[in-house]
Amino acid sequence: MLNIFGWRSAVLGGLIAVMLVLPLVIKSSFALEILIRVLLFSFIGSAWNLMGGYAKQLSLGHAAFFGLGAYTSTLLQIDFGISPWIGMIAGGLVAMLASLPIGWLCFRLRGPYFTIATIATAQVLMLIFLKFRDFAWGAEGTTIPNLGHAPLMMQFETKAPYYYIVLGLLAMALLITAWIERSRIGYYCVAIGEDEDAAEAIGVDAPSVKRKIFMVSAFLTALAGTFYTQYIYFIDPQTAFNFNVSIEAALVSIVGGVGTLWGPVIGTILLETTSALLQSWLGNSIGGVQLTVYALILMAVILWRPTGIMGYLAEVYARRRIKSLSSPAKA
Amino acid sequence: MADALVIKNLNKRFGGLHAVQDVNFRVRENETLGLIGPNGAGKTTAFNLIMGFYRPDTGSVSAFGQEIVGLRPHQVCTLGLARTFQVAKPFGGMTVLANVMTGAFLRDRRPEAAREKAREAIDFVGLSARESAAARDLTTIDQRRLEMARALATQPRLLLLDEVMAGLNPAEIDQAVALVGKLSNRGLTIVIVEHLMRAIMAVAKHIVVLDHGQKIAEGSPKDVVENPEVIRAYLGSGYVHAPAGGPS
Repeated sequence: MLNIFGWRSAVLGGLIAVMLVLPLVIKSSFALEILIRVLLFSFIGSAWNLMGGYAKQLSLGHAAFFGLGAYTSTLLQIDFGISPWIGMIAGGLVAMLASLPIGWLCFRLRGPYFTIATIATAQVLMLIFLKFRDFAWGAEGTTIPNLGHAPLMMQFETKAPYYYIVLGLLAMALLITAWIERSRIGYYCVAIGEDEDAAEAIGVDAPSVKRKIFMVSAFLTALAGTFYTQYIYFIDPQTAFNFNVSIEAALVSIVGGVGTLWGPVIGTILLETTSALLQSWLGNSIGGVQLTVYALILMAVILWRPTGIMGYLAEVYARRRIKSLSSPAKA
Repeated sequence: MADALVIKNLNKRFGGLHAVQDVNFRVRENETLGLIGPNGAGKTTAFNLIMGFYRPDTGSVSAFGQEIVGLRPHQVCTLGLARTFQVAKPFGGMTVLANVMTGAFLRDRRPEAAREKAREAIDFVGLSARESAAARDLTTIDQRRLEMARALATQPRLLLLDEVMAGLNPAEIDQAVALVGKLSNRGLTIVIVEHLMRAIMAVAKHIVVLDHGQKIAEGSPKDVVENPEVIRAYLGSGYVHAPAGGPS
């Protein structure tokens, strides 16, 4: 019989295999597009989850890092001809550096005030890119010069390579999360999220831990920004610093289960499928009705399953275990 | 014996409230010192000042010969001071083991080593059976045990216990008293804030009494309960000349 580790590796191995062959099987580019979207938001959600989920610092300003990543790589590419592969890393570093002053400002505040401050920083960045035209094309934005098939410039003529890139990004984010979950900084993050004073009393340097996890989270989110710009061949402040990115990052994690490894992935699958299905069922009827239904479903999840899908599964698992434990053998 | 903690002319004001006024006391190594006083006497404030949660307006706190005023709580903890909170603050969503491991990480960043140290501390407070329970599901006394285990896991030399017995029933109080005795036997220096005189008399050889932020008496438990100032603070001036006993 397989033990629990055996099961896990088997499921994980199967999942990886399926994910790797999917683009070979799926020929519809629409389906691949949805898959890419799911992977992208799972990735952004995972990046957000490190800080918003584990350390419970509810940021609604992750678009700031998404945008910085997008602009850094695009500026490097258009002005200096530097490959977005390098630009991606550069964007991550820029976001990491930007997280320091942003954190310095926002971490003075706790709870809802912190959240509002993060929203403001993303909006301010958007305004900066809107107003200062000489610097980065202002409100019009720019298209990325199409080089056809140019893997070294992160440009491809089919969807499949994009799929593999974002799959790789997600795998990396999950590995980082799994490592953090088991290490000291992970425990410290959760402790800070639970009770910052109690954490400090047992030797946790809360500001330093928050700073570090914010840097990691910002770095990863920026990679998503570069990827997205390369994928849609266009950038403007409205797309790069879109508030929806911030919302979606938080939402997929909250619905899936904050502070869990797979939460953001499960949340994204659920939300994206629901939204796509609703779009195809109701999209042709009264305008906006699919969004209303989507919003209702969201409210229902948050109302009845505030711990997210992962929290619900954990509960069910625990209940079944208690049941099997309280069989006559135990009593 | 050397001094573990020396507090000199400590002052803290919150607006018009002079919460701690020129308080002086010292705790010797391996001693258990009881800090008592009516509600609002400044006991918890004193803890917060020692641990770096508040910064004193004036005065000095030195631990094991080192001045610690101005240090942040985590730095104070690194120096070997640990505390529990009056209202237990477990990390509710974490298991008991994870809670205590978080404390153990201070001295060793390797998860395996931290887990081992945490198990020792959990075993010491008698919580091993609940190791994988979520902290929020614990009973009051078990939450207090957890707080002690978590503090112990940071390997302190000086432990500040803030009303660890409040809200416990008599049987549980006996267990808690035994636990404090066990900690003391292990060589820990302890400062314990407590309302229950019966409990404090059982664990502390030396008692400091605060009232309205001032130290009004200090000495052995017997001296303290017979001190007219203390009786007045606790029971009102009508009891000062009462024949026997004292507050109990």
